Amino acid sequence: MSRWAPEPPRPFWPNGHEAARDGRPIAIETRGLRKTYLGKVPVPVLHGVDLAVRAGEFVALIGQSGSGKSTLLNILGALDVPTGGTVLINGQDLGRLDDDALADLRSQEIGFIFQEHYLLDEFTCLENALMPVTIHEGDASDAQRQRVVGLLQRVGLGDQLHKHPDEMSGGQNQRCAIVRALANAPRIVLADEPTGNLDSTTGAEVFALMRQMNRESGVAFMMITHDDRLARAADRVLLIEDGLVHEVDETLHRPGPGAAR
Amino acid sequence: MAPRGGRRRRGGPWRFERQVAVRHLVAGGGQTWLTVSAVAAGVIIVIFITGLIFGLRQDMARLLTESIAHVTIEVAEVKPVPLERVPGAGPGPSSSRLEQQAPQEKAIDDWPRVLDIVRAVPGVRLAAPVVRRQAFASRGANPIGTTVVGAEPALQEEVAPVTENLIAGRYQGLTSEEVVIDAELAEDLSVATGDRIRLSSNTGASDSFTVVGIYSRGRGRGEAYVTLRTAQSLFGLGTSVNAVLVKMVDIYAADQAADRIMALVPYEAKSWSREFPRFLDALKVQSAAAYLTSAFSLIASSFAIASILIVSVLQKAEQIGILKAMGARRRQIQTIFILEGLGVALLGSLAGAAGGTAIVYALSLVEQPVRRVGQTPEQLFPVAILPVYIALAVAAAIAATVVAAYLPARRAAALNPVDVMR
Repeated sequence: MSRWAPEPPRPFWPNGHEAARDGRPIAIETRGLRKTYLGKVPVPVLHGVDLAVRAGEFVALIGQSGSGKSTLLNILGALDVPTGGTVLINGQDLGRLDDDALADLRSQEIGFIFQEHYLLDEFTCLENALMPVTIHEGDASDAQRQRVVGLLQRVGLGDQLHKHPDEMSGGQNQRCAIVRALANAPRIVLADEPTGNLDSTTGAEVFALMRQMNRESGVAFMMITHDDRLARAADRVLLIEDGLVHEVDETLHRPGPGAAR
Repeated sequence: MAPRGGRRRRGGPWRFERQVAVRHLVAGGGQTWLTVSAVAAGVIIVIFITGLIFGLRQDMARLLTESIAHVTIEVAEVKPVPLERVPGAGPGPSSSRLEQQAPQEKAIDDWPRVLDIVRAVPGVRLAAPVVRRQAFASRGANPIGTTVVGAEPALQEEVAPVTENLIAGRYQGLTSEEVVIDAELAEDLSVATGDRIRLSSNTGASDSFTVVGIYSRGRGRGEAYVTLRTAQSLFGLGTSVNAVLVKMVDIYAADQAADRIMALVPYEAKSWSREFPRFLDALKVQSAAAYLTSAFSLIASSFAIASILIVSVLQKAEQIGILKAMGARRRQIQTIFILEGLGVALLGSLAGAAGGTAIVYALSLVEQPVRRVGQTPEQLFPVAILPVYIALAVAAAIAATVVAAYLPARRAAALNPVDVMR
C-alpha cells in the first residue's frame, strides 16, 4: 500500500548524475522530495530535493541548524514520510511499501548511527551490536556472531564485549553503535551527527572508523555533520539550504582528519 | 532491488521479544516489584474474600443442614379443593368456605421399597426410615411437649449426629427401653442420665424410659431419640414409618433429587432448600458479594498495572524508537510489552496465590474457645481454602493483567521513532 502518492520518475539527477554515470548502482535516490510539517502554521522544510548516492560513496550532508538535514535523513531511512516526491532505496520505492516492509527494509538495507548512541542499557555491548540481527531473526547464527565479534574487535572493543553501556566510555559506546549499524551488513548507513557528542579526538577516531568501514565494506554512508574538517574528508559534500540540496564546490573537498586515502 | 529475504526466526517463537521483555523486567527493579505486588495484592484479596465468604457459606449451610434431612419424604397433606375445580362436579350446592381436613394418621407402609428406590437416585448418600411424632415427656406431673424420633442409631447419626453433641451418656447401643434427650428438656424435667422419664403419645399409649444420654446442639429444644421399633410401638404404627429422611452428597442438589423422588414414589418429597428459601437467597447474596468484591479488586489492580506499564512505556520511548529504527515491527514492540505484562501477571498471581493461601490457612488455624469439656474446638474464622477459586483468581489476574498491558503495548507500538528520538 502506498504511504504517499509517488510521482512519475524523472530522468534527471541534478546532484547525483555523476554518481549515476559512475557505473556503481544507485543506493539512495530522491526525486522532487518535499516535506512540510503540518500544524497551526505549516512549515515547509524540503522543497523538492533531488539527489543520488551511489553504493560505497561517503557523502557528508551539511547545513544550518533547522535547514532540514535530519528530516531528510529520517525520510531516507524510512523513519518519516515525505509530503511529496519519491524516495528510492536500492531501487525500492518507499512509497509503495507497507509498515512491515519498511521495517524489513530498515532492518536489512539501512544502518543508523545517531548523535546519541542509543544502546540499550539492559544489554551488553555484544548483545547491543547484535540487536538488528536479533530483531530480524530471533537469534544470531554462529557466523553472524563471529562476524559481529570480529567487527567489535576491529573497533577496539574486543575486551568490552560483555560490558553494559554504562560501563563503557562515550567513544566506546559510539563505536559499538557503529558496529550495530553494520551488524546486518546493510548497503546504506545513515549517520546523524555521530561525533556530535564526542570530544574532537574521539570524534576524529570514530569518523576514521566509519570511513574505514565504508572503504572496506563498500557500504554507502550519508553523514550529517557540522564539522567542516570531517565534511571535507567525505567523497562528496551536499549542502542543504532553503529546502534544496546543492553539491558543494570541489575546492572545499580536501582531505580532513582521518580521511587519508 | 528488493530487501534481502523474509524474516527467519531462530531461537523459538518471540526470541527477541522475550529477551527484551525479560531484560526490562529484570532491569526494572523496584518498578517491576511494584507491578508484581499490585497483581499479587489483587489475587490475595480475591483468595481471602472468596475463602472467607465461601467458607462462611459452607459453615452456615453445614450448621443448618447437618442436623436436618436434605430431603424429607412424607405422605402428602390432603388439601381442600373448591368444588368447581373438581372434575365432573356438576352445578349444585356450593360453599365459599374451604376447610382443612382433620389431621390423619399417615404412614409409609411400603418404606422398604421406597428406600430401595430412593437409594438408587443419583446423589443420594443415605436414606433412613424414621418415626417422628409429637409426644409428651414427663417425670411425675407437668408433661412437656417434645418431638420423639425413632430411628436406628447408626443411621440417625448420619442424618443428625447425636453422639458428637452428647454432654453426658451415650447414644450408640440404645435399647427399646432407653431414650436420649436434649439438655433443655433434661433441665425442664430435672433429670440426669440414669433417671427415668415417661413418654406419652397422642394415641394414649405411654411408656417409661431410662435417660441414657443428654445432648445439646445449642439450638433450642431438640428431639428425644428412641429406637425405631420403640417409636413404632409408642405411636401404634405397627411396622410402618411416617417419614424417610434423605442425605445428599451435595446439599445443593436436594431440589433435583426431591423432584426425581416425587416422580418415582407416591409421596411428597421436600428439599431443605425449598423449606428455607430465604436462607438460600442469603447464601446467593453472599456469593454475589464475593464475586463483586473479587471483580472490583481485580479491576483496581488492573488499573494500577496499566498505569505502571504506561509509565514504563514512556520511560522506554527512546529505546522503542531505536528498536523500530533497527527494523522492529509494530507487532514486535507490542508483543514485548504484552509479554512484560504476562511476566508480571505470572509472577504476581503465583506470589498472590501463595500469599493468599498462606493467609487463609493461618486464619483457619485460629480456634474458638472451648465451651465444654470434650468439645472439639471450632474455627474462629470459618475460612475455606478453595483450589478452584485460587485457580480462578490466578487465571483472572493473568487475564486482567494482560488486558491491562494491551493499552500500553499498543501505545508503545504506535510510537514514532522520529518523535521520540528527536
